[in-house]
Amino acid sequence: MFMARSEYDRGINTFSPEGRLFQVEYSLEAIKLGSTAIGVATSEGVILGVEKRVTSTLLETSSVEKIVEIDRHIGCAMSGLQADARSMVEHARVECQSHSFNYNEPLGVESTTQAICDLALRFGEGAEGEETIMSRPFGVALLIAGHDENGPQLFHAEPSGTFYRYDAKAIGSGSEGAQAELQNEYHKSLTLEDAETLVLKTLKQVMEEKLDHKNVQLASVTKDKGFRIYTDEEMAEVVERLPAN
Amino acid sequence: MDALVAKYSRPAAEESDPFENELESHDLMNPADHLSLKFAMPPVAQPSSWLRAATDDRSNPECPIKIAHGTTTLAFRFQGGIIVATDSRATAGDWIASQTVKKVIEINSVLLGTMAGGAADCQYWLAWLGMQCRLHELRHKRRISVAAASKILANLVYSYKGMGLSMGTMCAGVTAEEGPALYYVDSDGTRLAGNLFCVGSGQTFAYGVLDAEYKYELSNEAALELGRRSILAAAHRDAYSGGYINLYHIEEKGWTRHGFSDTNPIFWKTKLEKGEFSNVTSELE
Amino acid sequence: MSAMFSQNPVMNGPNYSFSDAPRTNNGEFREHRFNPYSDNGGSTLAIAGADFCIMAGDTRHTSGYSINSRMAPKVFRIGGSNSDQSDATIALSVCGFAADGNALRDQLDTVCKIYRYRHGKPMSVHACAKRLSTILYNKRFFPYYTHAMLGGIDEEGKGAVYSYDPVGSYEREQCRAGGAAASLIMPFLDSNVNFKNQYVPGSGVGHELKERERHPLSRPVVETIVKDAFDGAVERHIEVGDNLQMMVITKDGIEEIMLPLKKD
Repeated sequence: MFMARSEYDRGINTFSPEGRLFQVEYSLEAIKLGSTAIGVATSEGVILGVEKRVTSTLLETSSVEKIVEIDRHIGCAMSGLQADARSMVEHARVECQSHSFNYNEPLGVESTTQAICDLALRFGEGAEGEETIMSRPFGVALLIAGHDENGPQLFHAEPSGTFYRYDAKAIGSGSEGAQAELQNEYHKSLTLEDAETLVLKTLKQVMEEKLDHKNVQLASVTKDKGFRIYTDEEMAEVVERLPAN
Repeated sequence: MDALVAKYSRPAAEESDPFENELESHDLMNPADHLSLKFAMPPVAQPSSWLRAATDDRSNPECPIKIAHGTTTLAFRFQGGIIVATDSRATAGDWIASQTVKKVIEINSVLLGTMAGGAADCQYWLAWLGMQCRLHELRHKRRISVAAASKILANLVYSYKGMGLSMGTMCAGVTAEEGPALYYVDSDGTRLAGNLFCVGSGQTFAYGVLDAEYKYELSNEAALELGRRSILAAAHRDAYSGGYINLYHIEEKGWTRHGFSDTNPIFWKTKLEKGEFSNVTSELE
Repeated sequence: MSAMFSQNPVMNGPNYSFSDAPRTNNGEFREHRFNPYSDNGGSTLAIAGADFCIMAGDTRHTSGYSINSRMAPKVFRIGGSNSDQSDATIALSVCGFAADGNALRDQLDTVCKIYRYRHGKPMSVHACAKRLSTILYNKRFFPYYTHAMLGGIDEEGKGAVYSYDPVGSYEREQCRAGGAAASLIMPFLDSNVNFKNQYVPGSGVGHELKERERHPLSRPVVETIVKDAFDGAVERHIEVGDNLQMMVITKDGIEEIMLPLKKD
């Protein structure tokens, strides 16, 4: 597979003779090193869950932020290079606020995802007059959860700038196993509570550490409450509910 | 003049592309660029003096564009939070353009701004301020203080100093760290913290009532009544004020509306039931 | 450049250059004021009903005392998916300087179309109203010389009218008249639409008097009010006349009605 890469993986704006952009493909690999993040969409709302890699007992776990708010009705979970996600999230926030400033209505979930993906390929030298933002592709993938007039939605955005809508999606190092598990367990009539359990159960299977309420984080997006990160007490309660094995 | 000649003496073909105008095409395609605050400018050497001649009805009564002006607004701090009250009349020259203007602008669920001066300037920049406050909240994970919010606005208007913005606004809110906080910000760049402000052409009449009766210890009901009575005085004596009385009360949990009520029945109630305004006769003789 | 032309008398090209620009008696250059606006007269009117909204305007186009055109409409459909705007649900009326009005209409229409492509849905009148405000404000330092109004049906199915000042301050209202005859029509609307200063006879004395109850008007009543308002304006204002263009916006779309007005 990598026979022909030779010189073509150096320049970020150079296609290989086979028509591939190696640096963009490598950025997809970078995500497979990241911590696992899972999103599950139900008719009541969307649940996002991430594992926090607690590498030291001295680490303050609350400072590991892998789920962030974009606007009241949209949040996202990330996997890969955290620092890259900052600028994508900032861009999405500004885009959302600018839309509600100009149109007096919240930006749709798909449009927000599109806005984030518009950034993804703005690396390298850039077209004339267009500001380049980065010297390389992003090394982070996002699960974007939101609620708008089309109901609860979950999107997956890749560094390549493509995005798809999912009912349930896992990204990061444990994504393959987790995705298979979601494939088996997901059905359309899941409640929000079922989704919480499903996310944690799936995370538990792919995590190296033993899952507790400190090393995972959940968040939900619902019509009434918007985006909300679970408190420590709520986390403990959901973890308590998990079937012991 | 040279700049004008240069601008208009280019071959017509160069101007044929409708999206050639960089600013306009940016604006259409990407409203987010509003954040970079690019505004269309008239092709003259001194945009501000041209703008004054075209839109300022005080310096040029013949001006072709009459911009709607707003008028009496007040806000004061007291033990129960902050009262914000305004009239609702908008005038363009002598013409009453509207009697139902909402001069209290809801920046967000806990912050209010008031509108005096150019209606569009106040509406636009306070909505813009609302956006900045929300972004601050998202970035810093806590509510912005009233001091910071008013400073953002003051810095913004200062950067447009001399361009002809016209606004006299008050930013009011209650936060845990500041308690009730009230700031006056105007288009000259002035920013003042204070207990009590009245702004607009009817300000002197409102101050007269407010200064006489104001105490920090006022109960909520008495404070609301004082706000209402002060606006009524201004609506009565200032021709540029009138319409409806718009009343708000701000507490830490957010603001509540206390009506958008017609001045006329309130005036007659005040006169007939409390015996005030006795210089006005209620019977024609 | 000037030398090139003046050496060739046959061509008889422009025999002047900027060095020959007109001068005053004092020998200074005669400078002209930058005057990008003219007033093309005309009047517009918008009234919102319970489940419809009427936007109306006359079609006269004047400058000074000259009538330039008897058929220059001021009310436009906005944000349809095609060029004939047959599926538009929002109407914009502009009066003041017609060229600025047309530029404004084109810009708003383009914004609506781009919105439709980007977000995959037509713009609501609520969103369009805010966007029009920011479009106007973007020209804060070089304003569009227009009084704009926007009409449509809101998310609850009620008629909505938004009116603007030239630099974008706006308000949702029940009714509004704009342009040359605004000061003639507005008092008529205060009385006939908002029932201002009308009380229920015998309901009390002094401030006990009850105001006449306001209720949304039916479509035939509003159409009559619009026609009467314009007939009155034509009678007393030189810049209003020729034809009355009415757009009736309902949940089924926009219906356009043209009625004759006096032509003198």
